[in-house]
Amino acid sequence: MLRPFTLHRPETAEEACALLAGLGEEAAAYAGGTELLLMMKLGLLRPRHLVDVKRIRGFGDIGLEPLSGRRLTIGAAVTHRAVEQSALVRARCPLVSSVARHVANVRVRNVGTVGGNLAFADPHSDLATLFLTLDASVELLSPRGRRELPLDDFVRGPWETSRASDELLGSVTLTPWASDTAAAYVKFGVHERPTLAVAAALRLDGTTGAGRNGRDRIVEARVAVGCVSLKPVRMAAAEARLTDLSIGDLDDAARAAADAAAAGVDPADDLYGSADYKREMVAVFVGRALRIAAARARGAESAARFPHTVVA
Amino acid sequence: MSARPLRVVGHPVPRVDAIEKVTGRARYVTDLTLPGMAHAKVLRSPYAHARVRRVDVTRARARPGVFAALAGADLTWCDPYYGPAYRDRPVLAIGVARYEGEPVAAVAAVDEATAEEALELIDVDYEPLAPVMTLEEALAEDAPLVHAGQPPAGHFADLSTLRPRPGTNICHQFQFARGDAAAALGGADVVVEDAYRFPPVQHVALEPHAAVAAWDETGALTLWASTQNPYSVRVELAKMFDVPLARIRVVVPHLGGGFGSKTYAKLEPLAATLARAAARPVRLAASVPEAFQTVRRCASRVAVRAGFRRDGTLVAVACDADYDVGAYADIGPRVVQKGTYTATGPYRVPHVRLEARAVYTNTTPGGAFRGFGVPQLAWALESLFDVAADRLDRDPVDLRRQNFLAHGEEFAPGDTPIDGKLEESLSRAAEAIGWTRAPAADRGRGVAAMLKASVAPSVSEAIVRLHADGSVTVLASAVEMGQGTRTVLTQIAAEVLSVPLARVTVVQPDTAVTPYDQTTSSSRSTAMTGRAVQVAAEDVRDQLLAIAAQNLGVAARELALADGAVVAPARRLTYPEALALKFGMSGGELIGRGVIAPGRTAAPLGGSTPFWEMAVGAAEVSVDEETGAVRVERYVSVADVGRAINPLLLEGQDEGGVVQGLGHTLLEEMLYADGHLLNGTLLVYRVPRADDTPSELECHFVENADGSGPFGAKGAGEGSLIPVSPAVANALARLTGVRLRDLPLTPERVWRALRARSPRA
Ligand SMILES: Cc1cc2nc3c(=O)[nH]c(=O)nc-3n(C[C@H](O)[C@H](O)[C@H](O)COP(=O)(O)OP(=O)(O)OC[C@H]3O[C@@H](n4cnc5c(N)ncnc54)[C@H](O)[C@@H]3O)c2cc1C
Repeated sequence: MLRPFTLHRPETAEEACALLAGLGEEAAAYAGGTELLLMMKLGLLRPRHLVDVKRIRGFGDIGLEPLSGRRLTIGAAVTHRAVEQSALVRARCPLVSSVARHVANVRVRNVGTVGGNLAFADPHSDLATLFLTLDASVELLSPRGRRELPLDDFVRGPWETSRASDELLGSVTLTPWASDTAAAYVKFGVHERPTLAVAAALRLDGTTGAGRNGRDRIVEARVAVGCVSLKPVRMAAAEARLTDLSIGDLDDAARAAADAAAAGVDPADDLYGSADYKREMVAVFVGRALRIAAARARGAESAARFPHTVVA
Repeated sequence: MSARPLRVVGHPVPRVDAIEKVTGRARYVTDLTLPGMAHAKVLRSPYAHARVRRVDVTRARARPGVFAALAGADLTWCDPYYGPAYRDRPVLAIGVARYEGEPVAAVAAVDEATAEEALELIDVDYEPLAPVMTLEEALAEDAPLVHAGQPPAGHFADLSTLRPRPGTNICHQFQFARGDAAAALGGADVVVEDAYRFPPVQHVALEPHAAVAAWDETGALTLWASTQNPYSVRVELAKMFDVPLARIRVVVPHLGGGFGSKTYAKLEPLAATLARAAARPVRLAASVPEAFQTVRRCASRVAVRAGFRRDGTLVAVACDADYDVGAYADIGPRVVQKGTYTATGPYRVPHVRLEARAVYTNTTPGGAFRGFGVPQLAWALESLFDVAADRLDRDPVDLRRQNFLAHGEEFAPGDTPIDGKLEESLSRAAEAIGWTRAPAADRGRGVAAMLKASVAPSVSEAIVRLHADGSVTVLASAVEMGQGTRTVLTQIAAEVLSVPLARVTVVQPDTAVTPYDQTTSSSRSTAMTGRAVQVAAEDVRDQLLAIAAQNLGVAARELALADGAVVAPARRLTYPEALALKFGMSGGELIGRGVIAPGRTAAPLGGSTPFWEMAVGAAEVSVDEETGAVRVERYVSVADVGRAINPLLLEGQDEGGVVQGLGHTLLEEMLYADGHLLNGTLLVYRVPRADDTPSELECHFVENADGSGPFGAKGAGEGSLIPVSPAVANALARLTGVRLRDLPLTPERVWRALRARSPRA
C-alpha cells in the first residue's frame, strides 16, 4: 500500500532539479505515477518526497525543435493520450501517433507519460523501441546544466539509464522520416506489456522511377527490436540486407533480414517465453513488419490479422 | 393451478440490483466502516517451507497506533486451527510455514499505513526447509512432508470418508469401482490411453477476500464477510472460539465475484482473532496478490485408459488422478472425490476403476473453483474420447451420442437417475456450430460434453413473510455474487404469490436473520434455495387460501392467487384484506417456511445429487502456425437446465463460464520457480479479456422442465466452463493433427507441438 509522502509541485526545471539534488535518495520524480506508484505500493521504492514534473513549464509541450525546424520535440510530461491526439505528431511522425493508441491500456495512457516511460526504462517499452528508428535524443536537465544524449546511450539496460539522480528528463526529440518512407510497428504478446516489438521503416528512392509510383529502391532500412534483449536494439545486419533492394524483391530479402535479426538478439528464458521461442518470434515478426511496410509502400494495407498481435 | 402460464418465471427480467451496481451504490464488505475500527495487515512467509523458530512482535506492539500484533504462538486462548475437511490450517503459522505467502504474523492498527509499518518491526527467525512444489516432488519416495502428524477432521458432512496415508504427502485417497475394469480393458477391441495435466489457476474475483469482525460487550461476534457460505464460516468460528452458533453472526453484503474462492473460511478466522485481541472492530482486506496466496484451483495429473468395442461401445474406463491440493487441505479432498466420482462423464460405462489422490505440496492451498474437480477430469476424458474416435474411425459427435447415458438411466446405484437429455444438447450444439458442414480450410471444430453432480446431501431453508400491505420479504441465505440469485429468488416468490417483482425484497444473508443454507456453490442455489423459497411461498399461499376459504365460504380448491389477491369465481380478497380478516387489525403477517433437505442416501458419496448438471460445448478455432497463438473464433454452449427461470441471467452465467474456461484453456497458469510464485499479479497473470472472447459466442438451453428444482429447473453455471478446454483442444487436433495434453495451450506450447509434428501426409 501507499505510504505517506510529501508532494512538491515546482513550476520550473531549476526548482525541480534543486529539489532532487537537495533531497537526494529520499526523492523521486513523479509524472503520471503509473509505474512509480505501483513500485511504491509494492514497497519496492520508498521515496518520502515526490517531485511532480507535470507543472514544469514546457514539459507538457509538443513542438518543432527551433534549431532544425524539422525535428519533433515531445515534452517529458506529455501523456500517451496527448501524443495520440496531437495533429503535429500525426503530421510529422504518423507511426508515433498510431503506436500511442496501443501503449498499455486506456487508463495508463490517460496519465502515463512519454518521459515516465523512457526514464523508467522497462525493457518492454514500445516507445524506446520505436524511437530508435527515429534517431531520438533525450534532453537531460540538472543544476549543472543541460545535456543531450542519443536515446541508445540513455537507455542502458533493464530499468537502467544514464540519468544522474538529480537529473530530469526534459524532453525527447525525434527525427521524422523522409516522406518516401513506408513503416510498420508490430507487437506481440499476451501480458500487459509486449513480449516483443518490431519497428521497421523503409525509405524508398523517389527518383529512380523504376517501380510502381516511381518508388522502387530501398535506400535506407531501419529495423529495431524491443523487449527481447536487455534493451531495444537496432538490427544493423538486418538493415544491411534490405538496403539497395528493389521493394519487389522484399519477400525473399525479408526472410534473410528476419533471420539476421533473430541472430542479433539476446533473449533469456522468462515469464514472457523461452529464449528459443522469442528468438524465433523475432524472425517471424520482423518478417511480418517488413511485409506490412512493403505493402504500405505500394499503398496497400495488409488484411492479415494475427492473434495477440497489434499492428500500428 | 400448475397449468397457469408463468408471469415472471421464465422471463428475461433484468437483475433486481442492476441499478445499484452500475451506479456504484452497491455496498461491499470493504465499503463498511465501524466506529473505532482498526485496519489489519498480514506478514507472510517469504519461503515455501520453513521452520518458524521465533516470531518477535514486541516492537510492533509497542508502536503508537498499534492495537494488536499477533503471532501463531500467541493464540493460546482459542483453537487456532480451521479447515472444512481437516482442521490443518492455523490462523497464523505455528512452528512451520508451509507455503510462500502463508500468514505468519498480523497487526491491527489505527490505519493501514501504521499497520504496514508495524509489520516491518516484527522479527521472524526462519530456518528454510526443502519444499515440495510439484506432484512429482511430493509423491517421491522420502519426499519432505508438508504435514508431519495427522490433522483432526473438519466439519464437512462426510468426513468419515477421509483417508489420509500417514507418512506421505497424500491427505486423501478415493476409489470407485464397478465391474472389472482390468478384465474389460484386456478384452476391449480398442484401448486408448494418455495422461493430461491441468494447471493451478486463481479465481481472480474482482473483489479479493475481505472481512470485518466485531465482538460486542456480551462476547458475541459479528462478521461482515465476502463469503459464499456464511454458515460454514460460522461453524469454524464457533469451534475456534468455543462460542455457541447462536452468538456468531455472519453477514454477507454484495460479493464482487466468488467462483468458489470464497467458499469455507478464508480471512474470517484471522479477522475475528485480531478483533478479539485488539478489543475493537477489525477490517482485513486482501489485495489481488494476497488472493493468489489464499486459494487456487487444484492442479492435476490424470492418466486415463478407455476400452471400446469395435462398434464404438465404451466398455471400460480406468483412471488414476492426482490432484495437487497445496499446503492445506481446505475442501481439496472433497474436490478430489467429487471430481473423480464423475470421471466417466456422461457415458454409460459398465466397467470402471477410478483412483484419486489429494496431495499436499508447499504451494497456495487448493480449494473449490467453478467445476469443483470436474474440469480436470473432463479435460482428460473428453480429449481421449476424440483420440478414440480417430482410432475407431468414427465421428466424435456420433461416438459420444452412441455412449450417452439415457434420460432416467442409473449413473451409480443409489444415486439420482440421469435427469436430462444429453443427445438433445449434443444435437443442438452440433447444429449450431455447423458440424456436418466442412469448416473453412483454416478452421477446425471440436466438441466435448460434461456431467457433474451437485453437493449432496445438502440443506436449504427459507422463510417468506407476507406483510400487511401485501408486500413480501424473502429470508434465504443464498449469496448474491453476481450470478443473479437475488433476482431469481425474487422471481420465484413473485410468481407463487402473484405479486409484482417490486413488491418482493430478498434480505441479504445474515446468519442471525436468514435461515440455514449450506453453501452458494455447486450450481445449487436456484434448484435448492429456490425450491425452499418456492415451498415457503406456497406455504404462505396455502395460508391465504385457507383464510379466504373460511371468510368467503368457498372451498380452497376453487380459489387461486392473482394480482395480489385471492380470487374466487365471483369474489376477490386482496392480501391486505385477507390479513386484516385474519388478525382483526392491520398488523400481523403470514410466515411461510420451506425446508429442502433430502438427507443421506445409499449413493456412493453419501447423498444423491439433487440434479445432474449437463452441458455440451462446441468450438471452432484457428491457429497462427508461425506463433502458435490459438484463437477461438466461434463457440456454442448448450446446457440442460430443465427450465431457465431467468434466460437473461442464465445466458450471462454461461457466457461468463465459457470465457473463464478460455482462461485455463489458453492463458492462465500459476508458475512457480525455486519455491516462489512468479506471476501472482495481474500484470503477468493473464485472464481472458474482451478481445479474447470468440467473435460468435452462443449459449443455448435445453428446457424439458425435468429438474427437481422450482418449476422443473436444474442448477447451472458450472457446466458451460467444463467442456471448453477439451472442445478447443479437440478442434485444434482436428485442424493441425496435433494433440496437446497440458493446459494452458499457450502460443509457445502450441508452437512447440506444431514444430514437433511429423510432416503430414
Ligand atoms: C498496466 C501497464 C501496462 C503497460 N503497458 C505498456 C506497453 O504496452 N507498452 C509500453 O511501452 N509501456 C507500457 N507500460 C508503461 C507505461 O507506458 C508507463 O507506465 C508510463 O508511460 C510511465 O509514465 P508515468 O508518467 O506514469 O511515469 P511515472 O510512474 O510517474 O514515473 C516512472 C519513473 O520515471 C521517473 N520519471 C518520470 N518522469 C521523469 C522525468 N521527467 N525525469 C526523470 N525521471 C522521471 C519516475 O521517478 C519513475 O521512476 C505499461 C504500464 C502499466 C502500468
